[in-house]
Amino acid sequence: MNRHHIAINFICAFFLVLLVFSCKHKEGEYHSITDKIEAEGKNFHGTSISSEKYIGDIKTIEVTENEHTFLIPERKSQIKSYTCSECHSKPLHQMQSSVKKAHWQIATEHADTNTMNCATCHDGANMDDLKSITGTKINFNASHRLCAQCHTRQFEDWKGGAHGKKIAGWAPPRASMTCVNCHNPHKPHFKSKWPARYNTQKVKERK
Amino acid sequence: MDNNNKKWFSLNLSNKKKQEPGTCECGKTSEGCNSSGNDHLRDADFDAAVDATIAEERTKDGFEQVFDVQMDRRTAFKKLTASLLIGAGAVSTSCSVIAGDETKEKAQIDWEEQFKGNYKLMTRDEKESTVGRLVRSYQLRTGKNISMSSKNAEEDVLFGYAFNISKCQGYMDCVTACVEENNLDRNSQMEYIRIHEMKDGKGFNFNEADDNYYHEVPAEGHFYMGTQCFHCDNPPCVEVCPVQATWREDDGLVVVDYDWCVGCRYCMAACPYDGRRFNWSTPEVPEKEVNKNQHYLGNRLRKKGVVEKCTFCVQRSRVGKNPACVDACPTGARIFGNLLDPDSTIRWVLENKKVFRLKEDLGTEPKFWYFMD
Repeated sequence: MNRHHIAINFICAFFLVLLVFSCKHKEGEYHSITDKIEAEGKNFHGTSISSEKYIGDIKTIEVTENEHTFLIPERKSQIKSYTCSECHSKPLHQMQSSVKKAHWQIATEHADTNTMNCATCHDGANMDDLKSITGTKINFNASHRLCAQCHTRQFEDWKGGAHGKKIAGWAPPRASMTCVNCHNPHKPHFKSKWPARYNTQKVKERK
Repeated sequence: MDNNNKKWFSLNLSNKKKQEPGTCECGKTSEGCNSSGNDHLRDADFDAAVDATIAEERTKDGFEQVFDVQMDRRTAFKKLTASLLIGAGAVSTSCSVIAGDETKEKAQIDWEEQFKGNYKLMTRDEKESTVGRLVRSYQLRTGKNISMSSKNAEEDVLFGYAFNISKCQGYMDCVTACVEENNLDRNSQMEYIRIHEMKDGKGFNFNEADDNYYHEVPAEGHFYMGTQCFHCDNPPCVEVCPVQATWREDDGLVVVDYDWCVGCRYCMAACPYDGRRFNWSTPEVPEKEVNKNQHYLGNRLRKKGVVEKCTFCVQRSRVGKNPACVDACPTGARIFGNLLDPDSTIRWVLENKKVFRLKEDLGTEPKFWYFMD
């Protein structure tokens, strides 16, 4: 009787051990990659790698939006003939009749005319800055705030890093392109084009 | 073997005989050399004989089984002759008085490369010397200089990748950048990345998807998704490799030692994502297009009959750069970063977007996530 009990206990213990070990994956002590990230990222002290040198000659400025602080390219020095007030010395309505025409090549293809025209973003009285819908000044270097008025979802993604291209590498400091580096604000859509390559070998092989 | 810490093989015939007193010179174990033996061995004798021949195979694995065997003089000579024949040419050129210094050096390099160990097991110094040999060999052969790194994984780094399927427009700039960066074979037009053009509303239907389209993109009613090596955390390709020529590094990259790979292509069969490519012929890259910034485990020039694959551009990522595909993408659909860094953009994507991976149910734990806007 006693021996019988011992045998049963032994078998139970065996299956318990088997159960414990069969739950283990071979990748180590973690059950999934999320567990691994959580556990190994707990004591993260940063790495010695920096991507600062890959920013290159691009002049950047630091922006802080909510909890995110990162670099974006400086914009004003990239705009030809900034400051605008060098030509726009008078308010726009006074200049339109007298001085010769400028910016004729800019056609806006951005939303429809009910929603937007030039004056939605530009202030005729102060061409050196942009303006928000309610008329507050927005610096050209912070043009993302202008875009963010309507494109709120894209703005959230951009802040976090899900939208938009990065300038340097993956390592800190983070440097992201700002809206106007990829999208022409007057014509923000990407054009369709031909793919960069076509694999003729694959066509042959699949015949 | 007199020193078990040695990572290379050395023939040690004299010691073998002392260890096996029952073995006579002709290699037979239980009977005398010239006796024909009994027709029916007794069970005990039979067991002893079996033990004597395969006992070591029960405990040893891999190449130890092949190399660490008891050997009689005849087999030893056979094996020696084979390897001597291989080496004879190299030795004759390196010892020849007529051959130039360069030829001798080439032969010396080839000799040392032929008998080097698995990269995974190499020490820092051994890694550096093999990289040095490869650089010198390239210089001797082509007269051009390359730089090759053997940089190890950084601590506190685990690489991860995210792909935005609502942003990808199918331009394939990533594919071109990858081919150029990684010195891929131009002859067979090898590509690590595939961009699949899928019909809207049909889900991920890889059978009907087109990964070699040529028309203006993005095409109406289609979306695009890219696949490449996903650098699984539990990689099935690594498990099946019979020679351990592929493994997962500490920063999560799954890499191949092209010099250790025997080209059995088990890993290609094991990969559920079609992430690996095989060199059916010697890869050819025009000399002026060779990317000279190389890594031993990454984009160095491969040879015929080995398997290769995406390494997340190990030569770039280990020094802080983004992989070439990430840099080339004009839409920003590709996001790369350190999964262990709580402030990295890849972590923000994983925590704030609705992400998924391909064939998650297989338990391969790919470190490549897809998401939508």
